[in-house]
Amino acid sequence: MYALIDCNNFFVSCERLFDPALEGMPVGVLSNNDGCIIARSEELKALGIAMGMPMHQIPSMQRQRIVFKSSNYALYGDLSSRVQRVLAARVPALEPYSIDECFLDLRGMSNDLDALGRELVHAVEREVGLPVSLGIAPTRTLAKLANRRAKGMPGRPQLCLWPDANAPDLSHFLRQLPVKAVWGIGSRLALRLASLGIDNAAALRDAPEALLRKRFSVVMARTARELRGTPCLEAHDLDTPRRSILCSRSFGRLLNERDQLSDALRHHCQRAGEKLRRDDMLASAIGVFLRTNPHHAGPQQSHPLWTMLPFPSADTLRLNHYAQRLLAELWQPGIAYQKLGVMLADLSPRRGSQTSLFEGHEPARQEALMQTWDAIHRRYGRHALTLGLQCRNAAWQMNSRYHSPRYTTRWDELPQVST
Amino acid sequence: MNVSRFAYASSKNSSLLAPSPKQRGASGFPSPADDYLEVALDLDRYLVPRPASTFFMRVSGHGLVQAGFHDKDLLIVDRALTPRANDWVIATIDGTLSLQRLVSQASRFWLQGGDSRQARIPLDGERDHRLWGRVCYVIHALHR
Repeated sequence: MYALIDCNNFFVSCERLFDPALEGMPVGVLSNNDGCIIARSEELKALGIAMGMPMHQIPSMQRQRIVFKSSNYALYGDLSSRVQRVLAARVPALEPYSIDECFLDLRGMSNDLDALGRELVHAVEREVGLPVSLGIAPTRTLAKLANRRAKGMPGRPQLCLWPDANAPDLSHFLRQLPVKAVWGIGSRLALRLASLGIDNAAALRDAPEALLRKRFSVVMARTARELRGTPCLEAHDLDTPRRSILCSRSFGRLLNERDQLSDALRHHCQRAGEKLRRDDMLASAIGVFLRTNPHHAGPQQSHPLWTMLPFPSADTLRLNHYAQRLLAELWQPGIAYQKLGVMLADLSPRRGSQTSLFEGHEPARQEALMQTWDAIHRRYGRHALTLGLQCRNAAWQMNSRYHSPRYTTRWDELPQVST
Repeated sequence: MNVSRFAYASSKNSSLLAPSPKQRGASGFPSPADDYLEVALDLDRYLVPRPASTFFMRVSGHGLVQAGFHDKDLLIVDRALTPRANDWVIATIDGTLSLQRLVSQASRFWLQGGDSRQARIPLDGERDHRLWGRVCYVIHALHR
């Protein structure tokens, strides 16, 4: 048996834990740079504010009633790891799936899964203080759907248990469920399935396996088997492999100064290199873009400029070298830029990469240098070693006007308790 | 003993540098004193036995000096512990986190603040949702 546990309105719940005044109010958490809504309280959903809505599109009448919060990943990350620790102490195995979701492996756990589920929900709510919902089912795919079902339930605990694939309300639920809501089925796959008359989850479950395998993929056939109650997918099976890496950010204000742009670019190259090495990948191509504000009059610029690297690389210094050359090409005097970004493409796994005599490859010395670089970051933090000087409050850094304190990770930002 | 100490040391002091081929493992006899190795006292473990449910907070104001809580003192709060009568607790009152005493009489519970002129706040039992966590320690700096 598997369980999927998910923190309800996670970012909003984190904010409310230390600021109880937010209870009952419409709260919206904003993306990087305070751009758009990325998390909503139930009250905000009731106002009809959609996920991803840009803040400036919210009518000002409504805006005044809403409490906005800049995203506070220091806080969310800390609480997320607390939730995982509380769960890990109670189940044999746990696989984090995202910042607010976890798969639990319940194989060999007690027969009374309902009592176990209640205990898990209760433990997280009591010990960390965040509301969660829990779905338990024989496969990961069904557990994810059980979780969705639990979320719709009134009252607490929000728990849905399907002990087997023949659970009475399961078939009914699957018939009502659009196939797009099944784990790993995106809208394009959903359209292709619909063209074969498979438009709900029950139809996918009952579709002939040979057809799914032939017209789609092995994973699609396995998804159907999982809906029938046979576990055959791992959590990472449905993780789409990285095809590209993007590091970009809007500036706090419009910028033209060449030095500041170059500074921001160095920062992004550093992040991009770290992401590459974390996934053990090499990039073959690098692109840089400078974007003007499309809502302003005047000359516009946004297209990226790309170049191939001399050989696949994950070396921050090399990425930065080529990125800076691209920036020199792109930059024009007198244009105010709003955003800058680095893209890496044509990614390949580092292991098993073909190193031919003619193509060349990163010298071992460079690889060792980057290993040391990452080790220093792991031990001393991201700011311990940077490419050149990076100002922490530089103009290109993000806007976050509505930042709450980092309640759990900074001595000088701890919650204040009145007496 | 040797094995566990090695694991501990290596996790804390792993080399930042990529291993060079010249490096060799340490050799020689293990020290006989290793069998009597005492682990240094760890205040963090002592004060925070359950890190997942433990939160630090800061006292604000002088209302509870009599009870031993000074302005800017550090509170260690554990949400995993069910508060009992006479415990100091963090409670949410009027949208703020507040330091209160949990008092009980004839199996009914109230919150009592620092100002005894203030009315006690009645609770719905010891699992009332306004109870945030139990205060386990207060750390007061003598010199600031």
